[in-house]
Amino acid sequence: MPSQAGRLRAGHRTAMLPYLLMLPALLLLVGMLYPFCLGVYYSLTSYFLQYPHLFRFIGLGNYVKLPGDPLFAYSVQFTLVYTAVAVLIQVSLGVGVALLLHARIVGRGVLRAMMLMPLMMPPVITALMWKVMMASTKAGILNYLLGLVGLGPVNWLGSVNGAIVSVLIIDTWGNLPFVSLILLGGLQSLPYEPYEAAFVDGAGSVEVFRYITLPLLKPFIILATTFRVMDSLRIFDVIYATTVGGPADATMNLHMRAFFYAFQWYQMGMGMAYAMVLLALVFVASYVLMGYWRRAAEQTEL
Amino acid sequence: MRTRLRCFVWVGLVSMVALVCLASIGEALAGESPGLAYFRQAKINWRQFEGQKLTIGLNKHQYTESLLPLIGEFEALTGIKVEYLILPENEYGAKLTADLSQQRGEFTVIMAGAMRNWGYVPPGWMVPLDDFLKNPKLTDPSWYKLEDFFPGLIAANRWNGKFAGGTGEGPLWSIPVMSESYILPYRKDIFDQYKIKVPTTYEEMAEAARQVKQKAGIDGLVARGTANFPTIATGYLSGVKSYTDGKWAELDEKMNAQFTDPRVIKFSQIWTDMLRESGPANWANMTWYDGMETFAAGQAGMYPDCDFFAATYEDPKKSKVAGKVGYALLPAGPGGSTYSGLFTWALGMSKATKNKEAAWLFIQWATSPRTLLNATVEYKNYNPTRVSVMNDSRTQKVMGGWGNGTYLKTVQENLKTARIAWVPNPERPRLGDTWARALHEMYFKRLTPEQAMQRANDEVNKIFTEIGLRK
Repeated sequence: MPSQAGRLRAGHRTAMLPYLLMLPALLLLVGMLYPFCLGVYYSLTSYFLQYPHLFRFIGLGNYVKLPGDPLFAYSVQFTLVYTAVAVLIQVSLGVGVALLLHARIVGRGVLRAMMLMPLMMPPVITALMWKVMMASTKAGILNYLLGLVGLGPVNWLGSVNGAIVSVLIIDTWGNLPFVSLILLGGLQSLPYEPYEAAFVDGAGSVEVFRYITLPLLKPFIILATTFRVMDSLRIFDVIYATTVGGPADATMNLHMRAFFYAFQWYQMGMGMAYAMVLLALVFVASYVLMGYWRRAAEQTEL
Repeated sequence: MRTRLRCFVWVGLVSMVALVCLASIGEALAGESPGLAYFRQAKINWRQFEGQKLTIGLNKHQYTESLLPLIGEFEALTGIKVEYLILPENEYGAKLTADLSQQRGEFTVIMAGAMRNWGYVPPGWMVPLDDFLKNPKLTDPSWYKLEDFFPGLIAANRWNGKFAGGTGEGPLWSIPVMSESYILPYRKDIFDQYKIKVPTTYEEMAEAARQVKQKAGIDGLVARGTANFPTIATGYLSGVKSYTDGKWAELDEKMNAQFTDPRVIKFSQIWTDMLRESGPANWANMTWYDGMETFAAGQAGMYPDCDFFAATYEDPKKSKVAGKVGYALLPAGPGGSTYSGLFTWALGMSKATKNKEAAWLFIQWATSPRTLLNATVEYKNYNPTRVSVMNDSRTQKVMGGWGNGTYLKTVQENLKTARIAWVPNPERPRLGDTWARALHEMYFKRLTPEQAMQRANDEVNKIFTEIGLRK
């Protein structure tokens, strides 16, 4: 029979349990917070690795210089436009692919397994593989295939517009499976009653898609969009492995800029300022999108 | 069952211990490695810092690869324990700068060299090596033979600390282990076949490139093209210096940018026009590696860049053009002379090193005639920095065959006048990146040459004002 004191101690222990379970996650959070806070601090200083004597707290000095920096305006514009276009393409195609994989066709299992392959490759390997395929001469595989249908060789990575399109292609190839996977999961979780009712009412497949599938899929679409928006805003590895921000700074988004300032030119203060701007963009985007997602999830009550 | 398992475990452990004991006895009985005898010829006590520890951080390179198997030899010779770290170049640069900036001393012996010294010396992060060289307890001058190094290379690693001037004078900050200069390899077979003249001016070079493209159907030339400073550093910068008779520098003594000089603008226009017309379609994406591979695959007529790429061109296993390449000096400017740039990797010492004498012993060992000879002959570290290594029969046999002798002839001629083309300044990466971007703007015709150079000028001026070097 546990004594009074023993029962008290046991009570304490069970009360502590949730906190103890959270401890590893808390430690990780603190571990991440320290470099983050340091980064915020550095963005408020004139920290040049090579000139320690110039180190000084300058408040918003770095941020004030940003609008005057010719590289900044383009980086913001490119980051936003790229994200918008990439997410639009990826989610639209993702819905299509998910619908195809949901349909009862022969070899569905094999197709689904094949779809997952790009997800399994590290982004840098993907980028390098595509870089070889996108060689600008007729010797490149892509240009060779284009040549077979009579189209001229495209300067994939060496021209300003070609580079942007190429990065888009590589990014889409690598991340479409992810979007499709989320949407496929969504499709599979949809209730069948609305479809039955629609069938009884004699609705065509287009109307079924427009009035039943799409609205019910809304939370999943928004979820996939949120992930892709956050990733596209921050895209780095594909660009670094293929064009390194070129040509002529065409693919220089905010993340690449921050990298150049911090790790090529050793200007930590300015680099962190760029990173903070990117962080603000990502935060705002995810906050807005999560709000949409919550509302959509409530609407569909899934 | 359990006792049998325990029996096995014990037998396994005992036999492992026995093997290790036997192995170490065997090694001790085997005696000294023959290499140590060579080092013992030096009239210094290699073991004077026995028991100390060194951490060496180096970047990935044929030279550093050659050191790795020999580290054990160094430890046996000196009794100094060495921990080393090899990183790819970009990563190494960032990590090294961070370590030096905080004076942590994690990197003791470092890979530096003429241009890097300009960033590391002004904040006082490096130790001058002259005192170590003159100390009879630490260096045996007749054995080490500092005079065996090519004088231009030692000069490149001397600097008196003044920006916009002063290379070649002052303390010696690092010992060169590898050198490169810039020449013009060209497809001798194509030039002979279509009777194209080997260019001696840049206008002739543009014409030769045009002819190669028209008649042979491959790119007339390749060159580095990514929008960062390595693109400037080699063929292009040598061309700029040649075109301005070696009298122009990208910064004057007051650190004002000089990009708007009309001769520089004119040459940049020639260069970008030539590449746009007869160069590769993806010039803007080409690194030195892409250029070298393209030339070695037989897809280009010329590649004005590093001389030692010849090691790849002339290797039948790596290139389709082995034996078909000729090596000429870079074209001359209107004044009639050619000025090649120079680059060296060199070993230096971080000021935060706690046991500097031990670190000097490592540097001395790593740059001794025998170690450098091994690096060149066995590990293809080109170009060698010691005259004795260059003249060694094995080196001569390999390098002498390149281009039917034209390689050695051209390089030895080149080394007479090759010099560090950049002006000492600590912002070479950012300056170079800005310059390369101006070339991109010209190449893609987004700006006129004058506008592009003016913008680069303004940007560079802003940079130097920001760091307090320009009023």
